[in-house]
Amino acid sequence: MAANNPSVFLLSVNGQIEGANFPSYDDLYCKYCFVYGQDWMPTTGLEEGITQITCKGSQSSHKLIWNFPLDITFKSTNPSGWPQLVLSVYGPDVFGNDVVRGYGATHIPLTPGKHTRTLPMFVPEPTWRLQKFTSWLWGRRPEYTDPKVVAQGEGREVTRVCSQGFVTVCFNIIMKDMKKLGYDSGPSNSSNTQSYATTSGWSTDET
Amino acid sequence: MAELHIIGQLVGATGFPHNSLFCKWGLNAGGAWRLLSGSKQGQTQVDNPQTGDTAYWSHPIDVHYATKGLQGWPKLHLQVWHQDSFGRCQLLGYGYCHVPSSPGHHRISCATWRPLGSWREQLSQMFVGGGPQLRSPDIIYSGADRYRLHTEAMGTVQLELAVILRNFDKYGVDS
Repeated sequence: MAANNPSVFLLSVNGQIEGANFPSYDDLYCKYCFVYGQDWMPTTGLEEGITQITCKGSQSSHKLIWNFPLDITFKSTNPSGWPQLVLSVYGPDVFGNDVVRGYGATHIPLTPGKHTRTLPMFVPEPTWRLQKFTSWLWGRRPEYTDPKVVAQGEGREVTRVCSQGFVTVCFNIIMKDMKKLGYDSGPSNSSNTQSYATTSGWSTDET
Repeated sequence: MAELHIIGQLVGATGFPHNSLFCKWGLNAGGAWRLLSGSKQGQTQVDNPQTGDTAYWSHPIDVHYATKGLQGWPKLHLQVWHQDSFGRCQLLGYGYCHVPSSPGHHRISCATWRPLGSWREQLSQMFVGGGPQLRSPDIIYSGADRYRLHTEAMGTVQLELAVILRNFDKYGVDS
C-alpha cells in the first residue's frame, strides 16, 4: 500500500509576508514566486502572487504591513532543489514610475514548526556613475528580467548590488513521510525566530 | 550509501574595514565523499549596503553528497574580498567552518583572518591597499602548514545552513 511504502514526501507551507522595512521608500508592493528543483512539484496552492500597495503607518513604528497569505504544498522525492521563496518589491519613484526597490530570496525552512525570516532586499546597481543619473532621470533602473535569478548561485559574480531594506516572512512548516524515506532533518523547533538585522543596528523595528 | 544534503545561504558579512564586499566560497570533502548534485564552489554578488555595515549576499547553497565513510566531513572555506569603485579587488579575509554534523537548521558565524606582511608591506597597504595573499589556498582549511604565518583578525561571515542526513542510522552512525 502506498501509505506504508511512500515514494514521495510532502512539504506544506503556510505563512505570510508580514511586512517590510525600507527606511527611504514608501508606497510599496511585493511580488512573490517559488523556485524549486526538477524533482519538486507543487500540488496545491498559488505559486505566484502580488500584494496590495501599502504605505507606512503614522504610528511610532514605520513598518510597511502587507499581511499577505502564503499557502502552498509541494511534493518531491529528493531534498535537492529545495524550494526557495523569491520576493521582489516595487514602488513609485519621484516621477511616479514603478521601479524595483529590492529583490530577495530564502529557502523554505527545512524543519517543521514556526519560523520567522527577515530577508535582506537588494537592487542591482548601474555600472557607471552617469548611468546612475540617467536611470534616476528616466525612471529606468537596472532590473533583473527574471527575478528568479536571485535564487541561483551561478553567474552572480558579475553583479554589483545595493541592499536597502528588509522583508519579514513567517512560515509554518509541516512535513509528511520524510522520516519514512530515511531523511533526518533534525528536531522540529517550535519557536525559531531570528533576524539577520539584529546584528547590524538596523533592526526591523526602528525607523 | 549515506547521503548528506546541505541547503542554505551565505547571508552576509559584518565587521570588515570596507563595504562593497563579495565572497568566494568552496566546499572541500574527503575522498570517500561524492558530489551528486549542486555546485561546490561559487562567488557571490558585490553588495554595497545603503546603510549599516553589513553586506548582504543571500547566496544560495544546495549541495547533495553521498559518502562511504565519515573521514573528511565537508568543510566550507571562504575568501572575503573588497571591490572598490574602480573595480579593483583586494583580499580582506580567509575563513573556514565545518558543515554541522547534526541535522537541522544552523546559524553559523565564521570568523576570518588575513595574513600580515612585513612592516613595509603594512605601510604600503595603508596607503595604496592590496596586501599579501596565500599562495596555496589549502591553508585556509588545513592546519598542517600554518605555523610561520602572522595574521590579523577580520570580520565575520554569517551563514545559514540546514543539514539533512539520510540512512546514517542504517549504518550505525549516531548523529
